[in-house]
Amino acid sequence: MLRQPLTRALALSSSSRIAPLGVRRYAEALAQPEKVEVFIDDKPVYVPPGTTVLQAAAMVGVEIPRFCYHERLAVAGNCRMCLVEVEKSPKPVAACAMPVMKGMRVKTTSDLTKKAREGVMEFLLVNHPLDCPICDQGGECDLQDQSMAFGSDKSRFTDIHFSGKRAVEDKDVGPLIKTIMTRCIHCTRCIRFASEVAGVDDFGTTGRGTDMQVGTYVEKMFLSELSGNIIDLCPVGALTSKPYSFAARPWETRRIDSVDVLDPLGSNIVVATRTNEVLRILPRTNEEINEEWLSDKSRFACDGLKRQRLVTPMVADSRGNLTPVEWEDAIVAAAHAIRDCPPNKLVAIAGELADAESLVALKDLVNRLGGENVCTEQYFPMGGSGTDLRSSYLLNTKIANVEDADFVLLIGTNVRFEAPLLNARIRKAFIHKETDVAYIGPKVDLTYEYTHVGDSASIVKELATGSSNHEVLKRLQSAKRPVVILGADQLKTSEGSALLAFTQELALRLQDKLEDKEWKVLNVLQRTASQVAALDVGYKPGVGAILQDGPKVVYLLGADAGVVTRESLPKDCVVIYQGHHGDVGASIADVVLPGAAYTEKRGTYVNAEGRAQQTLPAVTPPGKAREDWKILRALSEVLGARLPYDTLDEVRHRMAEISPSLVAYGDVQNNNYFAQARVLAQSLQKPVSGKLDVQLKQLEDFFMTDAISRASPTMAKCVQAVLKQKQSPY
Amino acid sequence: MLKAISTATRLSMPTLSRSLPAFSTSSSRFASQDPTTRKEAPKIDTETVIALPAEAKEKQVYESQICVPTKVDLSPISGVPEEHVRCRRVRIYQPPKNAMQSGTNNIHHWEMEFDTRQRWENPLMGWTSTGDPLSNMKLQFTNPDEAIEHCEKNGWVWYLDCPKTEKEFKTKSYGLNFSWNRRTRVSTK
Repeated sequence: MLRQPLTRALALSSSSRIAPLGVRRYAEALAQPEKVEVFIDDKPVYVPPGTTVLQAAAMVGVEIPRFCYHERLAVAGNCRMCLVEVEKSPKPVAACAMPVMKGMRVKTTSDLTKKAREGVMEFLLVNHPLDCPICDQGGECDLQDQSMAFGSDKSRFTDIHFSGKRAVEDKDVGPLIKTIMTRCIHCTRCIRFASEVAGVDDFGTTGRGTDMQVGTYVEKMFLSELSGNIIDLCPVGALTSKPYSFAARPWETRRIDSVDVLDPLGSNIVVATRTNEVLRILPRTNEEINEEWLSDKSRFACDGLKRQRLVTPMVADSRGNLTPVEWEDAIVAAAHAIRDCPPNKLVAIAGELADAESLVALKDLVNRLGGENVCTEQYFPMGGSGTDLRSSYLLNTKIANVEDADFVLLIGTNVRFEAPLLNARIRKAFIHKETDVAYIGPKVDLTYEYTHVGDSASIVKELATGSSNHEVLKRLQSAKRPVVILGADQLKTSEGSALLAFTQELALRLQDKLEDKEWKVLNVLQRTASQVAALDVGYKPGVGAILQDGPKVVYLLGADAGVVTRESLPKDCVVIYQGHHGDVGASIADVVLPGAAYTEKRGTYVNAEGRAQQTLPAVTPPGKAREDWKILRALSEVLGARLPYDTLDEVRHRMAEISPSLVAYGDVQNNNYFAQARVLAQSLQKPVSGKLDVQLKQLEDFFMTDAISRASPTMAKCVQAVLKQKQSPY
Repeated sequence: MLKAISTATRLSMPTLSRSLPAFSTSSSRFASQDPTTRKEAPKIDTETVIALPAEAKEKQVYESQICVPTKVDLSPISGVPEEHVRCRRVRIYQPPKNAMQSGTNNIHHWEMEFDTRQRWENPLMGWTSTGDPLSNMKLQFTNPDEAIEHCEKNGWVWYLDCPKTEKEFKTKSYGLNFSWNRRTRVSTK
């Protein structure tokens, strides 16, 4: 579905569109249109004009059955399941597409409505295979449920030889989605999702009538980082999850609400488990974060939780091979190494999946021993206000508010792969609110059109100082709600602090002039789930300088990003690794303490906007693995520097002492002190000359970025499939 | 008595906070109403005026009794082992909509559940076993206040978990598919 050339022409070139857009927003807020009274089953309801019958019915709690209609997708009106009788209308009307009119009387339970539903259902079932017993959707199938609730109680289907049922060839759309196209009822939800939300316009229909098929026309993989969502959207079993196929029935699984940690947004998820095994992960609605979508990594990397796991404590023997030992021996070995080490030679490094509880426990432990060297893997410049002011390292606009932005400037961040659901928000704003996007960095595919300003860091300086004559500066200045998002990866380089200073300057200049004083412009998009909590707690970002001093003991808390290597450490340095996967960190360790993954512990994670959320234990850690803060607590006992907490509640009291926001679950506070951060950063505004580069450029880079997804065979298959698709001429 | 408690609870609780800290803040919720906040004289109930003397007296006796809103704690007499009272943590939440389906029939209530403990596959039948007697105790309530009251009565530490699920209302329009100057336009299906 190609966007029309006309809209493309209008995309950014005409600046005359800016003013009307701004006016429109405020005009909308001012003029409340008069509400229309309609009657749903004789119950009166007042709705804004333009509301559809289906929405009006939902307001009084009447749910009209539907297949093609979805709240977050465009109206298609092709399944006809939502037909309802409207008084004085000769025919039943499709409720999902029909706007209400004054005094309209809708009858959702009348004989005509029932007959219409039964008719539609009969037609759908004529060509639907009777393979519910072997269908993965069985038990959570809209077609099953609605045929029970609204279908006819008898069948007129007499073709007992099954000669006439439609059969459609299955498509191959990649290693994540299994297609059984005979089951398709042509609701086109997947097509609309692909073109509207995912921005990969590959799906469509071919043929018509009984020959109609949904597919990609030529065999092609669905190259999207949000592809798994079409499995959820499919109301029948035409699109099901390939890794989960034939694994379980929905009524056998136990669902535990939790939070995802594989990207910095902390999407809300439901973990489905059976017999201490994570079977699948589904999204959970949270309007402030992920709406009801989930990225493919978060959804499908869960099979990595069963592989490459550290299940027993290990200590390196005389030849340097890690050998399994008891907890006591491992803890004693670790304690020996730490006790023999002067406090300033002890370095603790936290990785990207560490929860706030263990971060706090580790920092408390190191501090009690007299050390100060606690740091994270990801670097953040400490010049100016550094990490003292929360506003300098968070997404201050908040994820949901990005939808309301009218101009978005992305600096050195490929949002599509660094935070897929934030990108989906920007795309939503792009389509529905006519938001325009500009981007500084190497050319990447963001799934929507953007103005590519260039890839040199000096552009940021020019924009900040106002010396740029690029049209983007004018657009930014005239925007009512601009958003500037800086990728945290850019801060690693020597020019990072200057880049941050210029971005702060630019954002603050824009923010000062805004009418809306609550609107925040400055955003820094972190790359990992643990970084914000670590900075909140007081970890030093980056390991570079600390490793130069020649540490004697390095304590890795799930540090698997590979910033610490054996070569960068002195020969006699003892490496203690605590974490859940045998990855980069464990491979260089002398002592391994097995911890719990995010589905196995009650852990606090603070997402990129500063919102604390907690994961809930869905399964127990495998083997002898234990919850991370408990390991640190046990170690502290042996070290003689006992940490003063014995229960999770006490740990959380300690967290609340450090920062109350760490235990205010679900809430996010507004950040302040922008002006102060800007003043402190002023001296850092040095000339920059480098080029901005992003780490994740292509879809194949997206799938395997952390210890869990690197251990996941499904993610490996995805990388292979994407590379194979690249070879294909289509 | 219970009625008095629930009234006091409702009065003292301003609006339901979206997220309470992980630890329960039970005791502070039972503050009595401050009489100085009253703005006008109490309105006299018509029923009181026209009541017969006997009725009025009965009512007066009833009203002169003092109901002390104390915390009712059933845990000492409920027979639940202490480890399942003190060490457990109750999550009060609204069940999330199943992402795989569009129906919303079974999610309009509040539930409480206990923290997950170890489960394992039983080698005899392959079913899931657990040593936790509370693992399947999911109680349903019409509102969170009832759930909280129930937890406090039983001495469980509770917390509320309610992500924002209600959307801003936006009218859907079939016409947007064909709008000539909007990016919502689609050319094919």
